[in-house]
Amino acid sequence: MERMAKTISSPLFKATLKSNWPIALGITLFILIYISTSISMFNPENAEFIESMLTVMPEGLMKALGFINLGTDLTHYLGNYLYGFIFLVFPFIYTSVVANRLIAKHVDRGSMSYLLSTPNTRVKVVTTQAVYLILSTSVIFIVLTGIAIAMSTGIWPGLLSIGLFTVLNLVTLAATLVVSGVSFLFSCIFSESRLSLAFGVGVPLLFVVCRMVHSLSEKIDWLKYLSVYTVVDVEKLLQGGPYALYVSLILIGVTMVLYGAAIFIFNKKSLII
Amino acid sequence: MIKVNKLTQTYRSGKGVFDLDFNIKEGEVFGYLGPNGAGKTTTIRNLLGFTNADSGTATINGVDCRKDAAKLQGMIGYLPGEMAFLENMTGSEFLKFMGNMRKTKDAARRDQLIEYMELEPQGKIKKMSKGMKQKLGIITAFMHDPAVYILDEPSSGLDPFMQVKLMDLLREEKSRSKTIMMSSHIFEEVQMICDRAGIIRDGRIAAIEDVHSLNAMKQDHYIVSLADEEDLVKIMASTLETTVLEKNKVAISVGKNYREMFNLLAGCNVTGLESKYQSLEDVFMKYYGEDGENNK
Repeated sequence: MERMAKTISSPLFKATLKSNWPIALGITLFILIYISTSISMFNPENAEFIESMLTVMPEGLMKALGFINLGTDLTHYLGNYLYGFIFLVFPFIYTSVVANRLIAKHVDRGSMSYLLSTPNTRVKVVTTQAVYLILSTSVIFIVLTGIAIAMSTGIWPGLLSIGLFTVLNLVTLAATLVVSGVSFLFSCIFSESRLSLAFGVGVPLLFVVCRMVHSLSEKIDWLKYLSVYTVVDVEKLLQGGPYALYVSLILIGVTMVLYGAAIFIFNKKSLII
Repeated sequence: MIKVNKLTQTYRSGKGVFDLDFNIKEGEVFGYLGPNGAGKTTTIRNLLGFTNADSGTATINGVDCRKDAAKLQGMIGYLPGEMAFLENMTGSEFLKFMGNMRKTKDAARRDQLIEYMELEPQGKIKKMSKGMKQKLGIITAFMHDPAVYILDEPSSGLDPFMQVKLMDLLREEKSRSKTIMMSSHIFEEVQMICDRAGIIRDGRIAAIEDVHSLNAMKQDHYIVSLADEEDLVKIMASTLETTVLEKNKVAISVGKNYREMFNLLAGCNVTGLESKYQSLEDVFMKYYGEDGENNK
């Protein structure tokens, strides 16, 4: 805790929190609407019926949205319904927008000059912003997972495998943190907000699109290697086993490398502010 | 105190600063002048440690401005030329925030300055007028009682009354032997406060002079309207430096030879006399010529 206090600036953290928390709250509420509707829509008796109905829909569309196997148990149902699209797209919108605001926007507007004209090193300033992005993203996931578990056990007691559902969320969070690291890196590289935003949103969007379309045809199956999100393999994760652990360790490692690179680049960069 | 040593920084546009070399002594007030785009802000960015120079160094108290920027910031009071505060904060919140970032414990000086500069800090910064933002910037630069001030056009946006108050404030800091580097466009301002002035043109120092020699350089310009065209001939024939503007209008430049001008004009039928504002850069430019060489 004490070492943490030395590497980040608490006044800056507070100011960043104050100007960015509404975005986090908005995204959380938005995803919460999806979670609560999907939990309340679940019905163990007619889940099979819904599934048979979905087979009428074009297969390609279902695959792209991740509704391959909605499953008849709540965990698979939520996993397939939420973690193929909603839990990937909305968190990345959050991390991309906030990553841009944390560094590139301050540089572009010139307000970075005020942050750096105080006795805080660049590393400290940029680390504080990085910690905010990682922490706030994690808090969003923790809150959403907690509410989803509470709602599920409240409405459908005993139907959700809490352990597997938590693992699924942790891996999704880890993948989102990698994506946030990509956006943060662009925010540190570019001095213009529009460039930082274009790349910071564009690359994660590419990840999502690759993950959505790769299963449509054998020919484009290689696209999955272009996307971080491919590792959020709902079926595989819900089987349990060591896959989740390996994947998480790799994702955390990549996240650290990305943030490390972002901090290094910002420290060395020439700032026209 | 402030030492700029062979500093070169080129932008992709080809602009920048080239081989910049100057020193500012402790307790000295240094005016930094030059036309827009000459490299004033680029120099200041290097002193604040924001940019990476291509070569050369900038140091304050022997500490490298880029490598050890954070070590120096506590003793520097910086006023940016373009105001960009943190969005959505009120003036009070911003001052408090900057105080916390600097770990300034005593808020007494800050509150005195708010009162002195007549800042209304309650409102949101983005709703503030340009003058109010400038006051906020000035208080931010002065409130931690720094040893060195780096001020980019400190009086811009202020009304004449506040400009006078700012000059008094700067004079007080000068008497407390603070080192001040300020850029300015206003001759009187530099004349009143500064010990020395340096002019930068196209990224190079064109001249560094003490303010006494600046005073000698200064010329006042008057535009004289005449009723009779014959008087124009009379004026042209005098030893005064003149430029004909229209058939009955002439511009006269006067240094210390006012008596000569008045004697001459006493014999003419003058219908109008107005003084023409001349910026400090104009004075310098005229004095040093377009090529930057001293051609007096």
